[in-house]
Amino acid sequence: MSDLDRQIEQLKKCEPLKESEVKALCLKAMEILVEESNVQRVDAPVTICGDIHGQFYDMKELFKVGGDCPKTNYLFLGDFVDRGFYSVETFLLLLALKVRYPDRITLIRGNHESRQITQVYGFYDECLRKYGSVNVWRYCTDIFDYLSLSALIENKIFSVHGGLSPAISTLDQIRTIDRKQEVPHDGAMCDLLWSDPEDIVDGWGLSPRGAGFLFGGTVVNSFNHSNNIDYICRAHQLVMEGYKWMFNNQIVTVWSAPNYCYRCGNVAAILVLDENLNKQFRVFEAAPQESRGAPAKKPPPDYFL
Amino acid sequence: MEVKVDENDLKAAGAELLTGDGRHGICIHGWEIETLKRSILKSSTAQEWEQKLQTSHLPEMVFGENSLILKHVKSGTKLYFNAFDALSGWKQEALPPVEVPAAAQWKFRSKPSQQVILDYDYTFTTPYCGSGTIEIDKDKDASIAEEQCNLKWKDCEDKIDVVALASKEPILFYDEVILYEDELADNGVSLLTVKVRVMPSSWFLLLRFWLRVDGVLIRLRDTRLHCMFGGAENPVILRETCWRESTFEALSTKGHPIDSGAYSDPSIISPKLPVVMHKTQKLTTSA
Repeated sequence: MSDLDRQIEQLKKCEPLKESEVKALCLKAMEILVEESNVQRVDAPVTICGDIHGQFYDMKELFKVGGDCPKTNYLFLGDFVDRGFYSVETFLLLLALKVRYPDRITLIRGNHESRQITQVYGFYDECLRKYGSVNVWRYCTDIFDYLSLSALIENKIFSVHGGLSPAISTLDQIRTIDRKQEVPHDGAMCDLLWSDPEDIVDGWGLSPRGAGFLFGGTVVNSFNHSNNIDYICRAHQLVMEGYKWMFNNQIVTVWSAPNYCYRCGNVAAILVLDENLNKQFRVFEAAPQESRGAPAKKPPPDYFL
Repeated sequence: MEVKVDENDLKAAGAELLTGDGRHGICIHGWEIETLKRSILKSSTAQEWEQKLQTSHLPEMVFGENSLILKHVKSGTKLYFNAFDALSGWKQEALPPVEVPAAAQWKFRSKPSQQVILDYDYTFTTPYCGSGTIEIDKDKDASIAEEQCNLKWKDCEDKIDVVALASKEPILFYDEVILYEDELADNGVSLLTVKVRVMPSSWFLLLRFWLRVDGVLIRLRDTRLHCMFGGAENPVILRETCWRESTFEALSTKGHPIDSGAYSDPSIISPKLPVVMHKTQKLTTSA
């Protein structure tokens, strides 16, 4: 058994790798990812997964439902880390699978694959806690910069973490982005990872936060039409039912973190596409309480004031 | 990690845990205190709520069926806490939106044609301090006839007895209920929770609205209710409301850190935040 296969077996048990192993793994991953396009070509059949957010044991449920990699081809739409308790193990397992089976699994970047966001929402602290230093966080966030920004399945289904950008009307415009950088605060790359579809606007909307685009049905329609695609598949937003179509089946949100943050009680979904692009959503629930090592549902009594 | 309450403590306090149908609560000194915890709203229910509240936006996670209910059986006084009423409060207060730091940069972006600027209060700030009615079961056998009226809270000078609450008497019942939560699209957190503890001598609860807009603002709106069990026929409930708020800028000028990672636990930050509103009110139940 090769080192890599042994590491994959170890990660499948939710045991993190040694720091030196992470470093070596990231170097190998970088060589693969640097060759990928900003609009990475993906062949069918493929199974599309949304946000995971460090919920390692729930991702194992995902693999139970979807089948193991490499038997099943996977496309993950980003947000592997933060919020959950096992961002390190989750991301490293996906990355190890990527290095082992580069043509069988595609990882694209979510807005949480960023230095700034991971310092606030858990991954940074988790690395520090598990390794006693931030080296692993550095190796991983350096790899984040190499992750592709989107995928195109059989030239028909455009996949991205967040959504569209007013600065992008063709896929070729995405191909020209220099992605090897921290996620910027504005511009096309930022929008692809951050924006959301919104029912109440038809064209473009600006979030009340003063940053962040919302896009309506007309925008999606014209993007799909001019790029000759059937629909857009994205993640980024929690959906109680695991997936949600909008704008006349022109865009679908797929969410793959069941019982999000270990308390929402939502189901998760993956989108299974066969070789003819026939769709099937597979809905799944969170791993049973006892098997996932998460804190118990009930908080211990405390003498709050 | 279910914490077992000592049967002897319950007996000594004349209390009984509510059982059956997965109920979670306690009966003590004529009070029925109960929590309900469910999943976040389904998309279809969320849509109904949007219509009822006349909004197109709700927090990402609305625990619409969660609640804490405290009912004084004899007087019919019922205090309760739920997401719907809290969101009605949000809708009414309708604060202007707070811009995130990136907004400054965004002002220089080229604007798409037909851009709509949304302007609802995405922080879901609410003045909510609980709901209440008087419920009288006129005929317990027939379908329950309820007479409802608003409770009459009166301003007062009393203070919640923190010293008594600090004493480590056994906790007979404890729970924490999330009413709603939003991640502000990864720009911080907005969270409304209520937690309750019941001791042999009193019950105490804290309803907390906690908001952190990363790099911009911290807002904490606490409502504490305390009711001492005693000889008095008609229990008295004290309610203390305390709102605190500060910008990150103001925190940094006072030498406090400005990275959001330092502001994850509201209990620790609370003393650093200036009080912007404080009041105490009293409710006397009447038979």
